[in-house]
Amino acid sequence: MANSGFFSRLVTRGAGRSAMALISFAALLLFATKALRIETDFTAFLPPSTTPEERLLIAQLRDGLVSRLMLVALHGADEKTLAVSSRNLADQLGRAPEFEYAANGSFNQSAAQGEVLMKHRYALSPAISEEKFTARGLRVALEEQLAQLASPFGTLSRSIMVRDPTGEFLAIVRQFDSGAMPQLRHGVWFSQDGKRAFLIAQTRAPGFDSERQEQAMSAVKLALAKENSNVNMILTGPGVFAAESRQLIRSDAERLSTLSVLVILTMLVFIYRTALAVVLVVIPVAFGLLIGVLVVNALFGSVHAITLAFAATLIGEAVDYPSYLLLNTAPNEATRVTARRLRMTFTLAVLTTVVSALALTLSNFQGLAQLGVLTMMGVLVAGIATQYLIPWLLGDHVLAFRRLQVPGSNFLDRSRWPSVVAVLVVVAAAAWLMHLYPSWWQRDLAGISPVPPKMRALDAALRQDMGAPEVSMFVASRGGSQEAALQAAESVLPVLDGWQQKKWIRSFDSPAKYLPTLDTQRARLHTLPERVVLEKNLAAALKGLVFRPDAFTPFVDDVAAARVASPVTMASYAGTPLGARLSALVVELDGQWLALTPLGGLSSVGNTQLLAQDLVANAQTNSQVVNLSQVSSDMVDGFRKEALSQAAWGAGLILLLLVVGLRSAKRALRVALPAAAALVLTVAVLVALDARLSVFHLVALLLVLGIGLNYALFFERVALDADERSRTRLALAVCSISTIVTFGFLALSSTPVLHAIGSTVALGAVLALLMSALWARRANVVSVHPNQ
Amino acid sequence: MGNAVKKNCLTRINFRWLAGLSLMAIANVCHAADADLVDLMKLLAAAPATEVAFTEKKFSSLLAEPVISSGKLVYRRPDIVEKNIEVPRKENYRFAGDTLLLVRNGTEKKIALSSQPLLSAFAASLRGVLGGDLMLLRNYYQLSLQGALTSWRLDLTPIDEDTSRFVQRITVSGQAGRISQIVVNETSGDRSVLQVR
Repeated sequence: MANSGFFSRLVTRGAGRSAMALISFAALLLFATKALRIETDFTAFLPPSTTPEERLLIAQLRDGLVSRLMLVALHGADEKTLAVSSRNLADQLGRAPEFEYAANGSFNQSAAQGEVLMKHRYALSPAISEEKFTARGLRVALEEQLAQLASPFGTLSRSIMVRDPTGEFLAIVRQFDSGAMPQLRHGVWFSQDGKRAFLIAQTRAPGFDSERQEQAMSAVKLALAKENSNVNMILTGPGVFAAESRQLIRSDAERLSTLSVLVILTMLVFIYRTALAVVLVVIPVAFGLLIGVLVVNALFGSVHAITLAFAATLIGEAVDYPSYLLLNTAPNEATRVTARRLRMTFTLAVLTTVVSALALTLSNFQGLAQLGVLTMMGVLVAGIATQYLIPWLLGDHVLAFRRLQVPGSNFLDRSRWPSVVAVLVVVAAAAWLMHLYPSWWQRDLAGISPVPPKMRALDAALRQDMGAPEVSMFVASRGGSQEAALQAAESVLPVLDGWQQKKWIRSFDSPAKYLPTLDTQRARLHTLPERVVLEKNLAAALKGLVFRPDAFTPFVDDVAAARVASPVTMASYAGTPLGARLSALVVELDGQWLALTPLGGLSSVGNTQLLAQDLVANAQTNSQVVNLSQVSSDMVDGFRKEALSQAAWGAGLILLLLVVGLRSAKRALRVALPAAAALVLTVAVLVALDARLSVFHLVALLLVLGIGLNYALFFERVALDADERSRTRLALAVCSISTIVTFGFLALSSTPVLHAIGSTVALGAVLALLMSALWARRANVVSVHPNQ
Repeated sequence: MGNAVKKNCLTRINFRWLAGLSLMAIANVCHAADADLVDLMKLLAAAPATEVAFTEKKFSSLLAEPVISSGKLVYRRPDIVEKNIEVPRKENYRFAGDTLLLVRNGTEKKIALSSQPLLSAFAASLRGVLGGDLMLLRNYYQLSLQGALTSWRLDLTPIDEDTSRFVQRITVSGQAGRISQIVVNETSGDRSVLQVR
């Protein structure tokens, strides 16, 4: 009995259809979990790169030297304790699999690297000459060493002098020591005030790989906790930013979206008082999101994590569709009747959003293109689900819920003044924005970064304290092979020396110093005398000095070995800080080799031009001055122009769609103008609040446009009677409240991305509602003649 | 019993009968007694600003015979130490605050002491002994005092690994508030003996 009752209930049409919908959703979900590939490379959200300089910039941001450097500052204990912790931490991190090396300036630490330099000193030393190995040259060197031995420094130099009496090792080290370095205390790097001990660790993972950066961070934290839990630590660097902002975004998004879902659910329950209605509201969004993500995955091969995070913006609009439908049903009206009645308005609402997202889809900017596809597909599917799936699922079932009365404003209905004022304000705002253009665009790539400003400020302070290099300006030397690129870099060295002498730059750090070209190395080794000759010269030089005759045998052995040694290569430096540095400075890009020479302490920005001209004047055709911040603002500028032209195309298409759909240019304008006015006002308010518009604002504004058009369409719709007008007001109230709540919560986030999107959309929704109400008023009053 | 010995040690100047024992025996019984160190430091601290002539011999396995240099050692309170070498050639080392000013071959060079653990340990040994600064010495060395205050020997053994890699021990000897000899024993086996004239 019970069984047959259950069975008969199951085969009722509604339940059968629900089961079918559920099964197909489950099947899609299962497919999605199998097929979906999520990537987290943040550079997908950087503007597209077209020139070689831009590709270089992106490569540097993704995987360059600076992107892999993690800065560690220890504090909160006395100098000695910090120094000890610094040593032990450097030791542990140097052996950790997450890091290439960890440096803290200590002697110990650079021992392996010193050994490489010592071993290859005759190939590397710029000070080498034939004269140095003659009896006379050696005599000068030995006298110097004798004085040194008797001095307080004798203790230090003793072990080196017997191998290197001519001082080549020191000559090499001196030329590397060109950049600013933090001061040493207790033999390790410290801040000027002695309150922070510094370490630099180079991660194996590229800076953009936030997941592995997170692992590297926890390795550092764990190591310090094991070493001394009383010492505090600050971690910064591009990788740390990537990891921390990912965490921040995730936790913010989770917390805030949970809050807004709760608030919205409460509202829905309050309005519908039936679980079925709430479920119906969720269905189109769920299908839209899922299919949208699957299509993105199929088209791009993967879905970006940020695209997924931005799916929230899609939900913000798609969740409105079922509400428009359900709240517009008259009492005792089947939903499919309502759907038929609303079809035109509804189709236009969906299609205008699809078209506005089309502009995104065409972007060269991979991240934006993904978002565009997701929005297009998501909105389209959600629209179809609302228009067809919900009525199909409900069948003849009449959804009963309380129809709240939302009073219209008498003041708005009677007075002309609000709309006149609104027009004036919008025109003034537009003029103001035109006047300021383009100053309110974010020109700095850093401004697009999802990192909270507080973290960026901390990083800048630490860097200044440390004198850490900021690779924003360098000379890029090209070549068909690694050797050719290094050759170009080497031939620039005299020019760079000149710049340094003229104080145009404070320092430079050329890879050609660590990796001289084979020719240069050969020429240097060629100056070394044969063993017999050297022994004879040395004996002559030692005559009359108190050194033991055999004291410098290690020197003679080393010179003999150097004459037949193989040249220094990249591999010689494996496992040392210099090796890690080299692999970042000598890179292959687009089938070409690049040797990058970072320039430090540029005396003024105007010098970029001067340096570039000087390179040309010195016939350095294979080398080029690259100013990354210049390249980056050029990129953002280019992107802005592209975005604007696409937005213009999108706007044209939307207008055309409205004219065709509404069969009247006048009505089309009546819908488009409030939405456009809302956009202008939103931007004006944001700019007045000192925000600079970035990609994220752009995405949010697109959503504002979609929402604004929806509001305007429903306001503009010719209502048959007061009841219908009241229903429309309720639907609009519910939709705008849910939008404002969702995005208002996002605006509370400390993450710039979420904050930008949240505040823009919440503000835009309020303004769009207001503008639509003002503009649509007379249309509703006047057009009582039933033409539809 | 222990108390009695300690008391004897502390007051041995008054108990001349103890002189019958060998000097070494006394030293062994009360070496590194804190009170003695404090007394010695007081004597050293009370000594007026110093300017003494010295001769230094450097013994090394690299040398057939020692290198001999001579010059003046200057100390001015609170932290200025100068080692001015005149023979075989002029060289000046001036420690002041955290800097070492080095004048050699007519060129000047400034080095931050804190940048090199060995240098700061070296400066601390000179300043600590010349100025009677027990705290400073203990920051860098383990101390061991032997002999009587009238004729003492202070062994400084570096604590820090960065220093002990190069320096095994510094031995300073003197009579009351006057320093007569500083011997630096290097880990390499080399040794320098600075004799105050």
